Amino acid sequence: MIEILQQIINGVAIGGVYVLIALGLTTVFGILGIAHFAHGSVSMFGGYLTFFLVVTWGLPLFAAILIAIVVGLVLGVLIELLAYRPVRHASHINAFIVALGLTMMVEGLNLEFFGHEQVVIPTDLSRVFEIGGVTIPELRLYVIIAAAVLIGAMTIFVEKTKTGQAIRAVAQNRDAAILMGVNVNTIPIVVFSISTALGVCAGVMVGSLFAIAPGIGEGLVVKGFAVLILGGLGSIPGAVVGGLVLGITEALAAGFISSAYKDVIAFLAMILVLLVRPQGLMGKA
Amino acid sequence: MRVNRKAVLWTLALVGFILLPQVITVKYYLHLSILALCWVIAAQGQNLIQGYTGYVSIVQAGFMGIGAYSSTLLGLHFDLPVWLTLLLAPCVTAIFAVITGYPSLRVKGHYFAVVTLAFNLVIFIVLMNWHELTQGEGGITGIPSPGGEDGWFDWSDRQTYYYFVLIVAVLMTGLAALIVRSRVGQILISVRQNETLVGAIGISAWKYKLFAFVASAMYAGLAGAVYAHYQSFINPEIFGVAQSLDAILAVIVGGSGTIAGPVIGAFFVVFLPEYLRFADSFRLILYGLALVLATIFMPRGIVGLVDDAWRRILARRS
Amino acid sequence: MKLLATLTAAIALASTAAFAAEKTLDIGVSDALTGGAAVYGLPQANAVKMAAQEINAAGGIKVGQDNYMLNVIAYDDKANPTEASNSVRKLIDRDGVKFILGFCCSGATGAVASFIEGEDAVMLVGNAAERSITTREIPNLVRTRPPADYTGAAAGTFVAEKGHKKVAVLGALDVGFYASYVDAFEKELNKAGGEIITRESFGLKDRDMTPQLTKIRELDPDAILVVGYVEPAAFIYRQAVELGIDVPRYGFTSGSEEQFLRVATPEQMEGVWDLRPTELTLLSASENGVAYHKNYSEKYGIAPSPSSPYAYDQTYALKDAIESAGTVDDVAAVAKALRSLQVPDEVVMQYLPVQGKMFDVNGQAYTSNGAFQWQDGNWVFVQDLPSDAAAYSSYLSTID
Repeated sequence: MIEILQQIINGVAIGGVYVLIALGLTTVFGILGIAHFAHGSVSMFGGYLTFFLVVTWGLPLFAAILIAIVVGLVLGVLIELLAYRPVRHASHINAFIVALGLTMMVEGLNLEFFGHEQVVIPTDLSRVFEIGGVTIPELRLYVIIAAAVLIGAMTIFVEKTKTGQAIRAVAQNRDAAILMGVNVNTIPIVVFSISTALGVCAGVMVGSLFAIAPGIGEGLVVKGFAVLILGGLGSIPGAVVGGLVLGITEALAAGFISSAYKDVIAFLAMILVLLVRPQGLMGKA
Repeated sequence: MRVNRKAVLWTLALVGFILLPQVITVKYYLHLSILALCWVIAAQGQNLIQGYTGYVSIVQAGFMGIGAYSSTLLGLHFDLPVWLTLLLAPCVTAIFAVITGYPSLRVKGHYFAVVTLAFNLVIFIVLMNWHELTQGEGGITGIPSPGGEDGWFDWSDRQTYYYFVLIVAVLMTGLAALIVRSRVGQILISVRQNETLVGAIGISAWKYKLFAFVASAMYAGLAGAVYAHYQSFINPEIFGVAQSLDAILAVIVGGSGTIAGPVIGAFFVVFLPEYLRFADSFRLILYGLALVLATIFMPRGIVGLVDDAWRRILARRS
Repeated sequence: MKLLATLTAAIALASTAAFAAEKTLDIGVSDALTGGAAVYGLPQANAVKMAAQEINAAGGIKVGQDNYMLNVIAYDDKANPTEASNSVRKLIDRDGVKFILGFCCSGATGAVASFIEGEDAVMLVGNAAERSITTREIPNLVRTRPPADYTGAAAGTFVAEKGHKKVAVLGALDVGFYASYVDAFEKELNKAGGEIITRESFGLKDRDMTPQLTKIRELDPDAILVVGYVEPAAFIYRQAVELGIDVPRYGFTSGSEEQFLRVATPEQMEGVWDLRPTELTLLSASENGVAYHKNYSEKYGIAPSPSSPYAYDQTYALKDAIESAGTVDDVAAVAKALRSLQVPDEVVMQYLPVQGKMFDVNGQAYTSNGAFQWQDGNWVFVQDLPSDAAAYSSYLSTID
């Protein structure tokens, strides 16, 4: 019993990261229809930058995170303007290819600026809490809480603010939105800003709880898309459910079936959902 | 008039390929050309599902891996001659393609792409971890070349292998042209342009999509098998997602939805990294930049560019 | 007029003599310079360049009347077999290189080893630990790093002697040489009545091993063996402590203090063992080792990786072999000279000669194996692992 509980706790932390990445992806994918593959690498850039600011310039953690979010925002907007906007009206394959090219560029930039060794953002949190045989390190707990807060903030923004509602309007019916006076050209900029900000937060979490290294971003973005498929496109609750299910399934699979094949099992679970319910667990039929 | 021009161009190209080994002085570039010809086969397959049917699949390298390992292992364990395993490899790959195609084709567009990517990852992980079958990361060495030591041809000479792969590539390209010009091909193109309409006319698009997917996988399986018997060494490393992206790139840059496109694209994909050999993280940035710029400014690939240029010349003449 | 002619002739003669004396020898490096394996490959490439610089500063390689200055051409194989074959073919076919060093990673190295026998070149392998690289009797291939199972067996004996009966293994088991280390380890452990109670896996890009460790915690082992790459392994050591596991931790990961401290605190690492070839560890290094560490750190601004000297030593072994064979063109002669070489003076690793020579009949060199333990923030050499190079060498010759 304790083992199962421990595995579930193990899975929740990584699941939280998956949810954040998926939120960043679903924002762009659901509203603009772009499979923003480079999201993982951009998120890692945010993590790398935070590390650099904290370790090399000695900034306090929160200041570094804020600066990284701002720089990330700029990068995200640049990507939208220079790379995706020119192919907005072409076939969707083109946007996909552009995304792949961007991934390579950002990975290359990361390598050039930050080197090939793994980096870990230092925090001074090293206590471990124990409740009845189940252990959870302090840092993991904070990551879970931070993810929950961000998800909550995102939900409020989309449901309650005017910009959020405008975004949903464009997602549902672009032409009607234009007729109603929504400025369709600024929406992509807002969307990419939100997505990148979420991504940078995810990157910081990965960088402090685990590590940032070349190639990790791509792995995360694939899992992110898997979450979208699992949970259903365009749905925030879907991303949450999907991310947690994926994270916990991985942990349980590694613990009880096979650690060598844990990724295979997680993907097979995703494919199973696809066969039985193609719109995702929370998607609309 | 148009048909004649194409026939002339293709004949010239064929002659060029036949003469290539005689013209190349540095053996290394012959080696690259053989690799490029393997990629021509894989890219023609990718083109069937991506260029003609309009479904971008990210699993071509995974199927190449299945073809490569099938041919190698069938030869190793059942003592079958190489020509037989080369024919069996695409068949084994077809079986896997049906199994993966069934769930993947239930969704479209980006979803389809991600699901196929997941399958590529699964194939990669299984190849890496199932030691008893594949020897994992260490790989399999000593894969025999198609002829014996006392056969008709000297298989240790790179030229021999070049002509062998050339013949296979020409046959597969011809086959692709046949498929595309047939009724099946027309339906695939209709699926790409407007899938709902195809269903409305009463054609089961699903069957044709599966056909395209399985056919493209068989091309990949053959390419992988031919590669294995050339390099005489395979391991899972080269059948991962990054190589599947190369297949997509080859089709896009060469010219999606054309028969000449994959040929040009395959050579591009093999030779370009050679010319970007300086500071390696730089190379990644440049490669990505090339991809982005090519997609924005020449979306119909090199074939499209050439076509446009030709049209302008013709227009100016008249 | 006559004076001018004599002067011209004298200058011509002098310059010809000067040109005849100093030539360039291109040597090649094929290694993982980028990507996940660059932590192993890039330091090797750097080590070769540093050794080449030192050799050049000391006058180059002397063959007959000529002094050859080394010029290093390094290509990135990204630990990918196709890239590695391309790099090596390019070095041989296009750049005319006959001596190729580096080779950190088994998959890529295996690909090259499968065709190198038919080429006019000598291949010197470094960190790649897959055993089959030196079991195929390739005359123009040598390796400075011992195969993993040679060390695994010694480690198994050591751990058994500590009295452990139930060992849990967490390793990068999809990689052949790590799996062979564990197999050899298990054989020795079984001989002493112990057993491996579970084999869990992790991959190069994994950083969260808490699921595997939770399962291991449940099985209640009396020791843990961690076998794999340093970057994820550091997380295993930390997460084990976070999960409350406090049995002894043994490992085969290599890795400098810096690499571990990025991830874990010194307290979390306290007591961890590393059972590996006696590579470069500052506190127990030879004089050459200390100098190498200092020079590399100054030149590259970062400490050398513990396995980078495998490539440094390759360069000096090559130098000695070329000088002994008296030729830079006759590849077969240099290959033969390598096989009869004595351990050069400048090497950093501590080799165990087999029949007085650095490389045995398979082209394999042996270093001693050591038990290192993390004490107070540093890796400390505790004792030699019981290893028998001669016995293993004969065993290696029997394998196909």
